[in-house]
Amino acid sequence: MIGALHNLGFYQGFSCDSPVVLQKKSMEANLLLDQYYQQTEAILDKAVKEWQNLAPEKLLVTPQPGAWNAAQCMAHLNSYGNYYLPAIEKAIEEAQARGSKADKDFRSGWLGAYFTKLMLPDSKTKMKSPANAIPPAVVEPVETLAQFIDQQERMLKLIEKARSVNLNKVRIPISILPWLRLKLGDTFGFYTAHHRRHVLQAERAMGRA
Amino acid sequence: MLYTNPQDYLSQIWPDLPTEVLADLGAVFHKHTAKRKTLLTTEGEVEKYLYLVLEGVQRAYAIGADGKEATLVFTYAPSFSGVADSFLLQRPSRYWFETLTPSVFFRTSFADFDSVLQKHPLLERKLRIALSETLEGVLVRQIELQSFTAEQRFRVLMARSPHLLQLVPHKYIANYLGMDATNFSKLLGQIRI
Repeated sequence: MIGALHNLGFYQGFSCDSPVVLQKKSMEANLLLDQYYQQTEAILDKAVKEWQNLAPEKLLVTPQPGAWNAAQCMAHLNSYGNYYLPAIEKAIEEAQARGSKADKDFRSGWLGAYFTKLMLPDSKTKMKSPANAIPPAVVEPVETLAQFIDQQERMLKLIEKARSVNLNKVRIPISILPWLRLKLGDTFGFYTAHHRRHVLQAERAMGRA
Repeated sequence: MLYTNPQDYLSQIWPDLPTEVLADLGAVFHKHTAKRKTLLTTEGEVEKYLYLVLEGVQRAYAIGADGKEATLVFTYAPSFSGVADSFLLQRPSRYWFETLTPSVFFRTSFADFDSVLQKHPLLERKLRIALSETLEGVLVRQIELQSFTAEQRFRVLMARSPHLLQLVPHKYIANYLGMDATNFSKLLGQIRI
């Protein structure tokens, strides 16, 4: 299975050197989707305006030994997209077929809020990517970036599509733990946070952060 | 450039139109905004609108029997947009029309547009000239497709619309030129400094 949540540390008894504050948020669903839309669009804009116009070798600069280059960061994110984009699309379509209606507010599940918080770029928690989401040592930069851009476009469409369904009721199985199903609203939350985190890492690798 | 009303926009395209005609034509256009990757016209549907592009990049594309997309044209300001042949003939569109970036338009319906044309025969003449230029553009593109190498097509596009590189994902430009992403990247490397 491709992709996995970073915080497997959760199950490995992860030590809270900087404790993650659990927040149980309730928020207007449309505003929340607006926020995820804008964050995803900002990533896409950066990739379209800047990254795709750089010499591909720039995406292969390794900042320090053992660190990922930008292409590897994107390959890592792409592996999540390969799992989550079809999973989200399927769940939304099934919900629409069931006649799911949008709920005005979204309330994060405790696990969803926890995952999202943990993923956020300003989270101080160090994480280790699960083995199956670690990108190969050599990544072809042009194809990887093209796929990355494609996935952001697809994500934007899915966020728009999600406006017609209930973000509290539609659930998405987590890639490595299919019995664990996150609310759609939380899936968007952690997915977007995870992307922002690694996009920052990619920018640092390119010396553009 | 962002125009606040359709009349100003149209006067930029057709500066010699009498004010009265511009006012009548401008009055049937209404503002419309669309997020990126919004499908505005689908194959088989009669185009409902004639668009004037204020902001953003759009494309028309066909989907072949093999499911592959063929990008036919990009549009951006200042220009008319939409599936013009379907709109003017009121026949089902043979292709798709979508926004590639967040877009703002003025647009009008066929019934409204047609009534202004009937009121002002001068507009028919303007339209004929505009369509002749479009036809010229389509035939020039036909020459490029049939007689140019991929690299020549790339250079022509870079001379005509280099700004597209920073606006839309390169896959659409590569598709318009009939090449894959890797070849496109190689050609881009040759002109990059």
